[in-house]
Amino acid sequence: MIILEASNIYKSYGNKFNKQEVLKGLDIRVEKGEFLSIMGPSGSGKTTLLNVLSSIDRVSQGMIKIEGKDIVGMKEKQLAEFRKNHLGFIFQEYNLLDTLTVKENVLLPLSITKTPKKEAEQKFAELATELGIYEIKDKYPNEISGGQKQRTSAARAFIHEPSIIFADEPTGALDSKSASDLLNKLQHLNRKRKATIVMVTHDPVAASFSSRVIFIKDGQVYTQLNKGNETRQAFFHDIMKTQGVLGGVQHEH
Amino acid sequence: MSINQLIFRSLRKNLKNYYLYVFALIFAVALYFSFVTLQYDPALNEMKGTVKGAAAIRAASVLLIAIVGVFLFYANAIFIKRRSKEIGLFQLIGMTKGKIFRMLTAENFILYYSSLIIGIFIGFAGSKLLLMILFKVTNIEAIATLSFSEKALVQTLVVFSVIYLFIMLMNRWFIQKQTILSLFRVTSTTEVKKVSVLEMLIGIFGLVLILTGYYVSSKLFDGDFATINELFLAMAFILGSVIIGTYFFFKGTVSFLFYLLRKRKGGYLNIGEVLSLSSLMFRMKSNALLLTIITTVSALAIGLLSLSYISYYSAGQTARNTVAADFSFMNQEDAKRFTEALKEKGIPYKEKVIDVIQVKADLTSILENVDSSILNVDLAAMPVPVIRDSDVETIDLPPDQTLFTGYQDYLAQFMPFKKSGQIQLKGKHEGIKLRYLGLEKTYYISYRFTYGFPTVIVDETIFERLKKDIDPKIQKESTVYIGIHISDEEKVEKADDMFQTMNFHAPADSRLAIISNQKYQFGLIMFIVAFLGLTFLITSGCILYFKQMDEGQDEQPNYTILRKLGFTQGDLLSGIQGKQLFNFGIPLILGLSHSYFAVRSGWFFFGTELWMPMLTVMLVYTALYSIFGILSVLYYKKMIKEAL
Ligand SMILES: Nc1ncnc2c1ncn2[C@@H]1O[C@H](COP(=O)(O)OP(=O)(O)OP(=O)(O)O)[C@@H](O)[C@H]1O
Ligand SMILES: [Mg+2]
Repeated sequence: MIILEASNIYKSYGNKFNKQEVLKGLDIRVEKGEFLSIMGPSGSGKTTLLNVLSSIDRVSQGMIKIEGKDIVGMKEKQLAEFRKNHLGFIFQEYNLLDTLTVKENVLLPLSITKTPKKEAEQKFAELATELGIYEIKDKYPNEISGGQKQRTSAARAFIHEPSIIFADEPTGALDSKSASDLLNKLQHLNRKRKATIVMVTHDPVAASFSSRVIFIKDGQVYTQLNKGNETRQAFFHDIMKTQGVLGGVQHEH
Repeated sequence: MSINQLIFRSLRKNLKNYYLYVFALIFAVALYFSFVTLQYDPALNEMKGTVKGAAAIRAASVLLIAIVGVFLFYANAIFIKRRSKEIGLFQLIGMTKGKIFRMLTAENFILYYSSLIIGIFIGFAGSKLLLMILFKVTNIEAIATLSFSEKALVQTLVVFSVIYLFIMLMNRWFIQKQTILSLFRVTSTTEVKKVSVLEMLIGIFGLVLILTGYYVSSKLFDGDFATINELFLAMAFILGSVIIGTYFFFKGTVSFLFYLLRKRKGGYLNIGEVLSLSSLMFRMKSNALLLTIITTVSALAIGLLSLSYISYYSAGQTARNTVAADFSFMNQEDAKRFTEALKEKGIPYKEKVIDVIQVKADLTSILENVDSSILNVDLAAMPVPVIRDSDVETIDLPPDQTLFTGYQDYLAQFMPFKKSGQIQLKGKHEGIKLRYLGLEKTYYISYRFTYGFPTVIVDETIFERLKKDIDPKIQKESTVYIGIHISDEEKVEKADDMFQTMNFHAPADSRLAIISNQKYQFGLIMFIVAFLGLTFLITSGCILYFKQMDEGQDEQPNYTILRKLGFTQGDLLSGIQGKQLFNFGIPLILGLSHSYFAVRSGWFFFGTELWMPMLTVMLVYTALYSIFGILSVLYYKKMIKEAL
């Protein structure tokens, strides 16, 4: 079953006179329960794509359906409701509230769903231990490291068990050990709870944890790789190869 | 890029930041200049002489400088903070701090002095308005004409130049401590740490200080502080303990309560709490001082406005109580001449004739603990005015009862009455015991008979008995009161003009004449006090509003995150409303309470009525002050809307 479907989407920034087209007629389909990676050079529009897919930003043109519902035409309020209940985010910038402690930040999505306090407490303890942030639960974001912030942000995305998780470079600030911990956690959520994951990354190792990788270039899908029955190692080499063909940083036009 | 180019670039780019600062400046200058223009206006010379107004005006202008100075410093502080990133960036590209400072100074100079000029123009126009209001409240009939005063101009320029220097010093100091690192750091660091027992004690101590201050204030004029020196010491003590107490209250009590509340949530906060509780706690340390200042300034403003309104309000009330009609006479012939003149002019009127006799009364059993030595009267045989119930349309008493009427709040302060009891009226020979029913507010006869004491109403039969048994030694010039009510409100003035031209044998009073005399005497002081009060209101409102704008901009990234997570604008706004209710509400409530005790302690020097004028001022103040609260919510609304 297709959970997320975007066809022919355009997105441009700026005004009439100074327009920059970032997405140019891009198509994408995500199956339910899939773990999808999006790769591409810096500035190629990955964050932009994630934003429009997750209804945070609006497309200039095109259609996006989540669970069969067209979200392009939806009202602001409906969209918010939708995000609250069904989506989880790990942003590229950590996006933690500096007025809240780590624990309060993580529990934020639960306050909406009116989860009983005891259950929330239990979920938090479990998740925080797994992600290694339990010890710092009473600290404020400006008292912890970048990697800790990223893990906190991940915990916040997982805690309410959303049906789709959007992650923008979730391992960018992590050492290889905590990175693979986090990726394992993502994989675990994906396998066990059938959570759909859409992840943007620069890191081929991270991408190799997923089941499919899409490469973006010039605002369109350049190519894609399926893991199929390959081992992670083999998949990793495929990704490396494709990335080499694709080249590095995209030049401004 | 040359430094001049840089200056103009940043001027253009910062216009949005500047607009707040410019507004604050223009407002402050206009306020000050209009006041000083008034101070030097020849039209005021006469008044200054009459009520020692010169000193009052000078004191007021010093106070004005203080508040305007604080206001500008604050606006500047917010403004420079907004630019700390820019300053860090300039440093990063290798500019020296001296050079940055020179750049800022030049930039500031242009803005400061152009706002100064605009402010002076607005202030000049404003001063004319002020003068018109002043003439109105002091009942002076004159056309407000103002000449541009060079003295006022020079004084304004000097004062604001000095403030400019101080602001530059402050900027210098700010740049000096600014490091490149601050460029990368999040705007504010956390201010909440674990709340200690010490903090809790500080909070309790704060409450104790406030209550002690209140207690001493209620005892201020009870005779416990006999000499002027003691009185001043007591006042200084009250002021100090209440202000410091307020600070501790915000710093300790509020933080502590918040901390407990948050702790109980165990990290599980809903959106409202995220935006109110945690945001407030996040800035509690720096806010404690600000909230204390706002509270103090509000309390001062409400107190001053109440006192001045008490005196203004009391002018009309005092006159009404003194005359008990539009005109009053103690002599039938005088009254006859006056009413004939009224008839001639075709002014309709009603005449009320009341017999008044003075009788000694024993009031000891209906008075609450009174130290009669202050009042210098014998409470067991105090002469009181007595009238018969049939002279008062609405009252009919049985022979064994009596009703008191016409009593000023002010006398009640020194001589409180019980709700009921027994009194005895003593004629020359016989004494009559009566049951006392209570005290009413209405005045039926003029001050010339009562001297501020209540009038005693008795049944007709009792009155006749007392009249036969009268003690001639204690009677006033006359035993008859004649009150003239002009039926047509608009003709009172005309009647008063006529009254002024006539000569009477016995003392006669006109309500209007008494009012204008009172207003002339208290008008200037009242005006100054009201002016200061309003200035306080506007500056404290503005400071809070500016602070909220600042916070709103700081917190906008948070709104972005929350909206990304799926909270709607409505969700966020309701949280913000809670926060603003605290930010504006708590200082207001504390300020109201402080001012209530302040006014309570000494209002009777200013007028005869307490509750009506004080409550009116409090209500109006609350309404005006709320405008700033609403404005700030609207500003947050905009911030939230633009967040995504
Ligand atoms: N709010 C915006 N306004 C204008 N242009 C934008 C905005 N956001 C992104 N862009 C532009 O769109 C392009 C794509 O940006 P995007 O953030 O999607 O890149 P990315 O693929 O996520 O890059 P990176 O890997 O570096 O994070 C960039 O050229 C950027 O300049
Ligand atoms: Mg990106």
